[in-house]
Amino acid sequence: MGSGSSIPNSVAKMKLMSGAVANGSALLKMGALAAASNAAAGARRDLDDVLSAAIPRYTSQDTSLVVFGSLARGEWTSGSDLDWTYLIDGQANSDHLIIAQEIQRVLNEHRERFRPPGQTGTFGNMAFSHDIIHQIGGQHDTNRNTTQRILLLLESGAIGKDDGAYERVILGVINRYLVEDTHLLTRDSKSYRVPRFLLNDIVRFWRTMAVDFASKQRDRAGQGWGLRNAKLRMSRKLIFASGLLVCFSCNLDSELQAKISTEQSDIRLNLVRHIRDHVKLTPLEILASAMERYDIPETTATEFFSAYAEFLKVLDDSNSREALESLRAAESRTDPTFQRLTEISRAFERALDCIFFESKYFAPLTRKYGLF
Amino acid sequence: MMRYIGFSTGALARQDFRKALSMMADKPLQAVELSALRQEELLPLVGQLDELDLHQFRYIAFHAPSSLDESFEPVAVELLERVYSRGWPIIVHPDAMHSVARWAVLGESLCIENMDKRKDVGRTATALDEFFRILPNAGFCFDMGHARQVDPTMSEAALMLQRFRNRLRQLHVSEVGAQSKHDPLTLEAVLAFQRVSHLVPPDIPVILESRVEESGIREEIENALQSLSSGRVLAIAGD
Repeated sequence: MGSGSSIPNSVAKMKLMSGAVANGSALLKMGALAAASNAAAGARRDLDDVLSAAIPRYTSQDTSLVVFGSLARGEWTSGSDLDWTYLIDGQANSDHLIIAQEIQRVLNEHRERFRPPGQTGTFGNMAFSHDIIHQIGGQHDTNRNTTQRILLLLESGAIGKDDGAYERVILGVINRYLVEDTHLLTRDSKSYRVPRFLLNDIVRFWRTMAVDFASKQRDRAGQGWGLRNAKLRMSRKLIFASGLLVCFSCNLDSELQAKISTEQSDIRLNLVRHIRDHVKLTPLEILASAMERYDIPETTATEFFSAYAEFLKVLDDSNSREALESLRAAESRTDPTFQRLTEISRAFERALDCIFFESKYFAPLTRKYGLF
Repeated sequence: MMRYIGFSTGALARQDFRKALSMMADKPLQAVELSALRQEELLPLVGQLDELDLHQFRYIAFHAPSSLDESFEPVAVELLERVYSRGWPIIVHPDAMHSVARWAVLGESLCIENMDKRKDVGRTATALDEFFRILPNAGFCFDMGHARQVDPTMSEAALMLQRFRNRLRQLHVSEVGAQSKHDPLTLEAVLAFQRVSHLVPPDIPVILESRVEESGIREEIENALQSLSSGRVLAIAGD
């Protein structure tokens, strides 16, 4: 990766149309995005093959293997690690630990292909549906539980044939947020409100990631600062933005509003389904879809996706990635790779500002729900 | 309008439809599902249909075997054509069909049932769409217990009932627990079913698949009717 140059403009490669985004799916093919998406699809197939060969039927009707992070987002690059959890939604069974450990052992044997998850212990082990669904807020909602829950919604995918447990837990989590929301409809019952409980948890998670960034810097004596900073500026921010858009879509989506019924249970169940359908998309797909649907200027969309494609390109370059991994905060203002990344993240943020603060659809909702 | 309600013979007396019918004889039941859940039960049941006293029932359905050997499938369909000629709905599990198009001969009598979480197919509205595409005249048998097991929030259940509203012919009602057995209704199931009960028209017959003793039949009927009572939808916090 060269240093200091302006962002190579995929804008030039892509025929710019004046006005709003016309084809959201074309945005997802810009620069390194298509390659990362294809690589993720291949890695998911390989992961299933590796596990199926070593542990036939490693999931069941009560358990799913769930992946998070870049693999789930469709942004797999050469240095990506594999964040996974063995999700259990069924009868308690001590064998579940044995299976989770077996998965861990097999993945360790393939650590060149699937790098182990980070040190926090959030991933690489078991997770239980009861905690994820019941412990939202309160003393028992640990950092790990919050992380698993929000990432389950915003960047996850099931590996292998059995996704029943995974689907049930996601629907259960969404339903839980909505059950607690006092009013799902506006006063005139003509449209859905933004689901505030869910939105607040997504906002909380974003702030938690930002705070944890500082905490990890202290815990790890500055090691890995550059890469974590880059992820916070880009991929973590992307998750947050996509989560906000999912919440905003509840109020904006005309098809959803057309389904409003006088039946209380229909009101909630239709909203559960709407949110589930949206979070099935990757964060980038959510952004592309929203840009197309809500008249975001093509220039903004291009700036956003070019920046993100460049970010993935940096991560996919082993020299750049290593430079970021070894970078300490003190050198950040002179390090060329980090300077490059700063430019990319500024472009990314400019585009986000345009989407959330200038769009006639999103700006009022950002004003109403974004801060206070 | 009075809702017809009754039991599956297989739920009351496994592999003994005559005993099940005798258990129902003096009860206020207007519906029955003659069940040949196992392949080997099909021929004897079809062969004895003329001999059965079914005059008590206003609604009669027939449940095809829940799994079939591929080699037996043509025989099974041929036997079921005899049921079809009586105009009775024929309930079929989607995964029991090897050659889906073959079942089209059963026309509008054919009713495809949504599956529980053990099955790889037919658990969701999207999965069922594929069957209805091949069998456009088929009806829908909505198994509430299966739907709740697949998605306890009942949002998938609501989707199925909305999407297949015009195909809906009958309900299966029972508790379906972690072991995927059909058991008597619990309060949990009743509350869950109430969330979608308004999507079930009052003329749709109900077949209970709960495995109950004869002494438990009346209580199970009461619980089932309560679960379908749209007037008592569970209050949602904050509503």
